[in-house]
This record gives sequence, C-alpha cells and structure tokens, in this order.
Amino acid sequence: MKRFSQLAVPYVVWSALMLLLPMIIVVFYSFTDGGNGIAAFQFTIKHYAKFFTDPDFLIVLWRSVKIAVKTTVICILLGYPAAYFIAGNSDRIRNILVLVITLPTWINMLVRTYAWIGILTKGGLVSSFLGLLGIKDTELLYTEAAVLIGMVYNFLPFMILQINTSLCKMDRSLLEASSDLGADGLQTFCRVTFPLSLPGVVSGISLVFLPAVSSFFIPKLLGGGQYFLIGNVIENQFITVGEWNFGSAISVIMAVLMMLSMYLVRYIEAKNSQVADS
Amino acid sequence: MKKFFGVVIAAAAAAFIVSGCGGKSEGKYAGQTLHVYNWGEYVGENTLSDFEKLTGASVVMDEFDSNEQMYIKVANGDAYDILVPSDYMIERLMQEDLLQPLDKSRLNCLDLLADGVKNLPYDPDNTYSVPYFWGTVGIVYDKNKVSIEELEKDGFGIFANEKFKGDIYLYDSERDMFMMALKHLGYSMNTSDEKEINEAYEFLLQCVKTMEPEIVTDEIIDNMAQGRKALGLIYSGDAAYVMTENEDMGFFMPESGTNLWSDAMVIPKNAKNPELAHEFINFILSYDGAMDTSVTVGYTSPNKQVMEELSGEGGEFEGINAYIPRDDNPNDEVFEYNEDTRKIISELWSKVKIAASNAG
Repeated sequence: MKRFSQLAVPYVVWSALMLLLPMIIVVFYSFTDGGNGIAAFQFTIKHYAKFFTDPDFLIVLWRSVKIAVKTTVICILLGYPAAYFIAGNSDRIRNILVLVITLPTWINMLVRTYAWIGILTKGGLVSSFLGLLGIKDTELLYTEAAVLIGMVYNFLPFMILQINTSLCKMDRSLLEASSDLGADGLQTFCRVTFPLSLPGVVSGISLVFLPAVSSFFIPKLLGGGQYFLIGNVIENQFITVGEWNFGSAISVIMAVLMMLSMYLVRYIEAKNSQVADS
Repeated sequence: MKKFFGVVIAAAAAAFIVSGCGGKSEGKYAGQTLHVYNWGEYVGENTLSDFEKLTGASVVMDEFDSNEQMYIKVANGDAYDILVPSDYMIERLMQEDLLQPLDKSRLNCLDLLADGVKNLPYDPDNTYSVPYFWGTVGIVYDKNKVSIEELEKDGFGIFANEKFKGDIYLYDSERDMFMMALKHLGYSMNTSDEKEINEAYEFLLQCVKTMEPEIVTDEIIDNMAQGRKALGLIYSGDAAYVMTENEDMGFFMPESGTNLWSDAMVIPKNAKNPELAHEFINFILSYDGAMDTSVTVGYTSPNKQVMEELSGEGGEFEGINAYIPRDDNPNDEVFEYNEDTRKIISELWSKVKIAASNAG
C-alpha cells in the first residue's frame, strides 16, 4: 500500500503549485500595498476597508448575487424537468439526449455568447420575430434580461447533467416499493425521487451559482460596458486600473462568500438527509 | 481578428512553400522572420503578403487591443521586432529604456511624412519612432437627428444634453473620456491638477447618471454605420469608415479642442531582427504600403501623397472631413504620459462605469 501512496506525490505537488500557490499569492496581494513588486510591501487592510465602505461596490456585489441566484433558480426550474425526462428513457436514448445537451459545450463559451449578440440585437432574430407579432423596436441587447439569458444558456447543461446523473443512479426498485406501499405518482416523487436526487441538485447549484456570480465576459458582452458585475470590477482593477492589490482583495472577498454559501447549501442538505433518515 | 491571423499563417506558409520548392531565395531576407505586434485590423489586405514578396522574409503578426495590453507583454520580455503603440505609450517606453534608436541611414521614408506628423512632441526628430496612422477624436452624429448648430453650441457638452438621453455612445477608455470632459471644461487634457480632474469626473458622473449612455468600444463602428444612435465619441479613422458606409453620418470636432493622436512604429531593445524591421517601416510608409493600409482601415496615412490622393478628388475618402485631421486649432493637444495621473483617472473612470451601471 505504501508503495502506491507514493504515486500521489506528483499530484500533491501539482495541486500545491497550480491551486494553492496562486491562492496564497492572491491573499498576499490583498493584504499588502506597494505596487506589483513583492519585494517592497507593507501590510494593510485598506483594500478591504475601501470595498466595504463604498456603497457603489456593495450595490454591484448585491446585483451580482441577485443575478446569480436568479440564474440558479431558473436553471433548476428548467433543468430538473429536462433531467427527469432524460432519466426516464432507455439507456440508448438517454445517451443520445445527454450528447445533445453536451454538444453545445464543445464550442467555446465566448463564441456561443457572441452568437447571442446577433440573436438579441435590434434587428436580430428576436426583435424581428417580435416585430412580426406587432411589437416593434425591442432592444434586448445590453439589458439585464440579456445577461440573464446568456447565463442560463451557458450554465444550464451543468445543472441538467448533475441532476440526470443522480436520477440515473437511483435504485428503480425503490419506486416499485413506493407504489407497492400505496403511494401515488406525486407522493413517490416528493418523498422518494426528489430527496434522492438532491445531491445532484446541490452539485448543480455549485456548478451554476459559482461561475454565474463571478462571470465577467457574459455581462460585458450582453450587458454592455455600462453593466457591471463584481467580476467586471475585478477584471477592471487588474487590466485597466492596474490596482492588483485591490483586485485581489475583492477576489478574496468573493472566494470567502462563495465558500460560505457552499457550506450553507451542504449544511442544509445534510440536515435534510438526517430528517429523511430518521 | 481570427481571420487576419489565418491570413498571416497562410501567407507565411505560402512564402515558406514557395521559397522551399524554388530552392533559391528571391528576396534579400529569405528565411528570416519578422515579428510584429500591432493593433487588431490595422493592416491592409495585401500589406503583409506584399512585404513578404518584396523581401522574401515571412511576417508573424500578433494583435493587441490596448496600449496597456501591449505594454505588459513587452515589459515582460516578449521579443518583437516592430511595435505600433500610441504617442503617450511611446513616451513611456522611451522613459523606461525599452526602445532602440532608429538607424536613419536605413530609413528612406522620413521625407514622405505629412506636415501634421512631423515634429511630434513625444519624439520630435523621429529618433525612436515613425508614424503609422494619425488622427483626432471627435463626435460622430446622425445628421437627421442632430444639427450642426447644436454641436457648435454644446461642443462635447452635447453628451450631457438631455435631448439625446438614451441616444448616445460613450467610448470605454479613460483617456478619451477624460480628454472629452477636460476639453469641454476648457482645461488641458494633460492636466495633473486634482481640482480640474475632479470637475471632469463630476461631469462624466452627471453624464452617465442622466443620459443613459451605452459605453462601448469598437461596437460603435458597426452600430453608428447602421444609424442606431444619434451621437457617439469616436476616433476620426473609425468615423471615416462609418461615413463611407452611411452617408447620413457626420463627424464634428469641437472648437474647445480635442486629442491629436498618432500611432507609430518603434523597434524594441530586444528585437531579434532590427534590420528587417527598418525595411518594414520603409514599406509601410511607401506609396503602395501606405495606400493599401489606409484604404482598408480608414485611418489617416502619414504619407503626405497618399493622404492627399485619398481625400482629394476621386479619392476613397473624398468629402469625408474625418479623414483629414485638423492641424490648425490651438486647443488641440497630444497626450503626454504621466503615470500618477493615469492611475487617478483610470480609477475614477472605473467608478464612473460602476455609477453608470448602478444608475440603470
């Protein structure tokens, strides 16, 4: 056994280099000042103070959280029925359907988001269609709705696949047992199927909420230059303002918020499964 | 951008095959490679392939979309033979000792320069740089929606005129936006006076809070060519393109002054092939090279003859005022590089954008 455990060494080194080290550098930057050179630095918490004392930043943060929550809820509402439908098919059909869901993700996300510009813009697909119905001059591009559409579109496959996997893993005989015991379809769904698929929903939530709350190119492309989410603020600090320290501080704040929210979701899930067990 | 890159690769591959199969080198520089770092969509259709035919060398061109992006790569040691930064960035590269002086005995193009690009303040005797394109910043407007009287009355202040609420584009660049605001207030765009900068900040803040602008970059070109909004802040070369596409569009430079800018070719210290780089500079400034780039891109050529032919009778840009930069207004200025001010205005501009997003 000992011999095999040594095989993990490259992996540990790799994770330390590629995961841990960048995180440490970001945290280090966020607590220091003195330009981008590490040589001359001084410890400070002023970047954090700056973020929490400026209402403008907090409004942007709040908007980011709101739109990420909306995205996640819509993804569950659309994704669950889709996953349920997919899981109800035979293996062969299911594989084809999963392939159909995965297919768009083979194309780069940026390219697919660019495609939405053409669909949503004035004189594009959507506004021409609405024009036929008598609704003239709708401008969807550069609105919050456009950003929401872009996010749901990009992140929906992650939700469907996660829920689908947990539904497929479910033991079918449980459903038979449930109906043998006299439960109707709805009761079986509420008391057996849904609780058993919860782990899939939870990992779906992490896979949708986290990228949605920190996304910056979707709001940039579909929301326009005057639509800012927290990801854009971070990007802006690094790319144009050149304030790496402040940008790092916002990144750390986001990382902590995300960890807390994930912890909360898992806590609720653990609570639920205890209730279900007892 | 992808398309251009593809063309470059194809051209490079073709040159490789031709020189490989022929077995003999045609040009003087056969087998050598020139690395160019240039703005996106900034060369003519045949510019690179013509240069390759002429010299036998192959060209690899990377593209950037901001001076700052280019600076980071170059300052980190990436080796290019030719860069095409803007005026203030050249000043910065000079200050940081990243450029090599040009060998004027290898240049045959300095006599061809138009008057407006001679003696530029950042490099008056072309020690380090030779202009590539030049122009101004101004207002592109829809003649059906905005009258010239309104423009003359308001100047850049038209971007705060509520008559055009929801009908304007602003340009997402702190330099250009603060230039616009400072010029409107009657200050120098190179001011480092905090009071003046703050006034400009307040003006921009007021503008984004009341006017519902769309803050864009290159999207403005297609959108104004399709007449989507009444007004926008734009580079003269982009305006020239918009005006050739849509004759309802006009270009206006306020009397209060604007930014007279130029992008120029420089050779960095760590260039691997400075000799070939000099050839490239000569080629871009030559009649054929300048004609091709200027016609394709729409920006003003520094080659006097080309500029006059293109704007003259029968030229591609006849009657398009945006093509000829204004060189007789004492209020027009060239950008100077000042790191402290740059930091302040870029932070203020990011606050303006956040305010814009919170207002919507």
